[in-house]
Amino acid sequence: MRRVAVTGMGVISPLGNDKRAFAASLAAGRPGIARLAGKFHERLASPVGATVAFDGEKHFPAPQLRMLDRVSQFALAAASQAVAEAGAVFEGLERARAGVFVGTGMGGAQTADDGYYTLYAEGSDRVKPFSVILAMNNAAAAWIGIEHGFSGPNLTYSTACSSSAVAIGEAARRIASGETDVMIAGGAEAPLNFGTLKAWDALRTLASVDPGDASASCKPFDRKRSGLVLGEGAAMLVLEDWERAMARGASVLAEVAGYGLCTDATHITRPSVGGQAEAMRRALDAAAMDAGAIGYINAHGTGTQANDAVETAAIKQVFGAAAPRIPVSSTKSMHGHLLGAAGALEFAAVILALRGGVLPPTINLRDPDPECDLDYVPLVARAGVQIDAAMSNSFAFGGTNAVLIARRPR
Amino acid sequence: MDAAPATTIARLHALLAKDFELEPAALRPETRLEDLDIDSLRMIEILFSVEDEFGITVPAEQAELRDRVKTVGDLAAYVDTLVAEQHGAGKEG
Repeated sequence: MRRVAVTGMGVISPLGNDKRAFAASLAAGRPGIARLAGKFHERLASPVGATVAFDGEKHFPAPQLRMLDRVSQFALAAASQAVAEAGAVFEGLERARAGVFVGTGMGGAQTADDGYYTLYAEGSDRVKPFSVILAMNNAAAAWIGIEHGFSGPNLTYSTACSSSAVAIGEAARRIASGETDVMIAGGAEAPLNFGTLKAWDALRTLASVDPGDASASCKPFDRKRSGLVLGEGAAMLVLEDWERAMARGASVLAEVAGYGLCTDATHITRPSVGGQAEAMRRALDAAAMDAGAIGYINAHGTGTQANDAVETAAIKQVFGAAAPRIPVSSTKSMHGHLLGAAGALEFAAVILALRGGVLPPTINLRDPDPECDLDYVPLVARAGVQIDAAMSNSFAFGGTNAVLIARRPR
Repeated sequence: MDAAPATTIARLHALLAKDFELEPAALRPETRLEDLDIDSLRMIEILFSVEDEFGITVPAEQAELRDRVKTVGDLAAYVDTLVAEQHGAGKEG
């Protein structure tokens, strides 16, 4: 099996619209969560979310913009950043051996919501002419493929909250197996429309708005945690055959060292200690690493009652006596839950932690739940930490558990 | 039908220039739509705007449209026909 290098990274997030801004916000423990202001948002039980400051008109000419749902705009912008950072990745590249794998949970949800509003609320008989093209789940991946001329496999993974961890893991496998040489892989999500927010409201999994400070509404591992806060954005990586990256003298950000995938197959939403632990074990096996090699875990850490306790138990099961010594944090406390884009954004955070030696904190964690008794890097980032490998956990509704391990280049 | 085409062309010019970033200078009646990079997908979007602008419904049959509308002038004439059919002569919407 071939090794897989990460040679480019692009980020559009509630914590900033490039990797530098994202890293700076993570290090500062700066929240990207705020009270939502929108036409209907006061009708939400929990009008809070993590929005991206993004003006599509600044990125795309008007005729193209009309063909892009917000989710595809994020995806394209992030992919362009990643490709730019990857430098001369196109030189000598056989485009048929280059592909695009994107994870998204809800695809063009904004377009669907807009269309329903037009039909049902405005009583119009027409929706936008490109509604299908805008809303289709594979639009983001397709546009990236078109933009960069990658004619190898172009796939969209939709496994809810693990979608983009799966996309990255599966893309790495295509390179490892020799089927492709270069992949753009990541995730994108834009779920902050009224209809989608209402659907999440109905599921009673959203955090209530913190009465004193809306930006502190997501409180992973805290006794007072009340649920997740939805976020939007995208993160894309350029993955490349290690030898190819070396041969062209590319600057390698990290190695995708391990990917573990399994399914609970027990309950549509309830997380399972066994399933989460199994995915972590499989990732360690794939990386040929002992549990002791992991210097940081970016938790799935949604801030729901169920997840945080179950994930803590799963980490203890896998890491045993070493568990209390491993820093574990939930960056969702800052950027919210990006659903299908969460795995990619959090894997980007892991790579930045490896490179910068700064472990991002779990903010808003002031009163830990007794069931959550690990080192969650509470409140402030931890700088000057040299780690060689780190793990990113993504566990989904539907039961698909995906774990990625990044290793410092060597 | 005598004076209408000029008006229709002018309104089409404004619409195409504004929404589709096409150079007004390129929008002569004889200009072929395919030379403006207006492919079948872009045409669908233009018809959507045309429906708004002229208060008409463009029938869904794509084949007829393809045969009938090849130039900017064809499009203007087609719009005039639909306006006449759907609003009656002299009652342009």
